[in-house]
Amino acid sequence: MHGEYKVPGGKLVVVDLEIKDGALSDVRVSGDFFLEPPEVLDAINDALTGLPADADDARIAAAVQACLPADAELFGFSPEAVAVTVRRALT
Amino acid sequence: MSERTQWNDYQWELLHGAPQSPELHMALDAVITDEVGAGLRPPTLRIWEWSQPAVIIGRFQSLKNEVDPQGAARHGVKVVRRVSGGGAMFVEPGNTITYSLSVPQALVQGMSFQQSYEYLDAWVIQALHDLGIKAWYQPLNDIASESGKIGGAAQARRAGAVLHHVTMSYDIDAEKMVQVLRIGREKLSDKGTTSAKKRVDPLRSQTGLERDVIIERMLQTFRGLASLTPIPLSQATLEKAQTQARDKFSTPEWTAQVP
Repeated sequence: MHGEYKVPGGKLVVVDLEIKDGALSDVRVSGDFFLEPPEVLDAINDALTGLPADADDARIAAAVQACLPADAELFGFSPEAVAVTVRRALT
Repeated sequence: MSERTQWNDYQWELLHGAPQSPELHMALDAVITDEVGAGLRPPTLRIWEWSQPAVIIGRFQSLKNEVDPQGAARHGVKVVRRVSGGGAMFVEPGNTITYSLSVPQALVQGMSFQQSYEYLDAWVIQALHDLGIKAWYQPLNDIASESGKIGGAAQARRAGAVLHHVTMSYDIDAEKMVQVLRIGREKLSDKGTTSAKKRVDPLRSQTGLERDVIIERMLQTFRGLASLTPIPLSQATLEKAQTQARDKFSTPEWTAQVP
């Protein structure tokens, strides 16, 4: 499943995922955003994996926010933008 | 928090050598920026020359979402992934002006990412104005003009240093570009256009000047900010970059890291 969301005034966020037993699996976030340090992308993918497929935007965004190290910098997107993109992939 | 430094606190070095392969350019950005971060070299402006057509995708982009492999193969285009985020670009030898600034973190100390993008390209906007182009910085990371996008910037932060690189279109083959890159409608949804071909307006049509004349004018503008000494690429730096090009930037593990 595949979702795309262009953040207004920001960058493109893309999510590819599968659903297994009602939960998100094989989650892959990509896009033309900027993220420091770059390894945080793996943490975001891991944080989304296992979330229930019916999780709402707030829960998805909270899961992304919670995995970010203190020095993480997101430029052109946000945990909320990832949540919107995940929802788009699911619908 | 330490003090922010100024452009003319440094004796800058200029690297503008022979055409290099796409994977070597990726590696040179990493190696030179790390040398600046380690205090082994002063801040460096590097002008790129390409030995072959290339697609350079951003650090976080999906390879298969961005590149049409058949189109790339048909046109002999090498696909590489760079160390910075941002979007895919298509280059052919002589049809872009691409440059990298490798600077100490101190030069942008205390700035937001947005501020640092604008700050590090202010001299280019000035140079474009001097060439008669009404250009401006379009957040987040575009150089824009009245008749379209001219180029885009990307940054990567690496231990003590910032890599800021920019590609501006000099004379793009828009038809070939759309055969090589996949540019979806969602990406263009807030750009006020539905065609990627219409988004890029090259410097050649706006200035009527040769590419090397534009580069020379840019360097003149830069020298108004700080001293800039042309140097050859050292053998040691070249060898480090060749190693990284071979062991990292030309491998499928890196290029398809986001598949």
